[in-house]
Amino acid sequence: MSDAKPERVYCPVCLARFKFQEGWKEGSTVTCPICGQKLTLRRTPEGWVGDRPDKGTEKEIRERAEAYARLKGYVFNEMKEEILQGLLGKNRRFGDFYCPCRMEHTPEFQCPCKPTRGGDVDRNGKCYCGFFWKSQ
Amino acid sequence: MKEKPKVYALSTCPYCKRTKRFLEEHKIVYDCVDVDLLADNKQDEALEEVEKLTGRRSFPVVIIGKEIIVGHDEDKLRKALKL
Repeated sequence: MSDAKPERVYCPVCLARFKFQEGWKEGSTVTCPICGQKLTLRRTPEGWVGDRPDKGTEKEIRERAEAYARLKGYVFNEMKEEILQGLLGKNRRFGDFYCPCRMEHTPEFQCPCKPTRGGDVDRNGKCYCGFFWKSQ
Repeated sequence: MKEKPKVYALSTCPYCKRTKRFLEEHKIVYDCVDVDLLADNKQDEALEEVEKLTGRRSFPVVIIGKEIIVGHDEDKLRKALKL
């Protein structure tokens, strides 16, 4: 039996470290199981890091939102496209995909924001913005 | 003419956009502050004002006379504007 700690991958979107899976290698494309971000794996002296291959693009935020909803079993409603436009506006004006319904432009409010990742949708039926909804 | 309605909004917020669109569709002349686009000192002032009026920092906020409406709510807008 090995005492080695399982390796982890740092996600630059949700700032968490998730478990490195068998078969992954330098350059593998993986999805962060916490926020849904698509990442390309890179080994650094400090450990594995995920890079954002489509950073700052519409493709990135659409794929992240879809993947997050799939991971959590959440759904979207008719506000989806308007909220995506808001997220794109945040990226243009404030440099990343922060929650379009809030004033805060800090990593914890990168979509899906920390309160959402902390269970707001399960508690309230939706996230603050009404982007992610609990399925009926 | 009474005072113009005032809207505090975020430029990226889809609900704020719906509120602005609703007012425009009903030919209501209003003042609007996109709080996220203000310079830092003006932004602090606006946020303090929003918090004083509503007790929180949620958008949009619409002030119509003595009525303060938080969130996009067409029924409340209609009632306050007597539409």
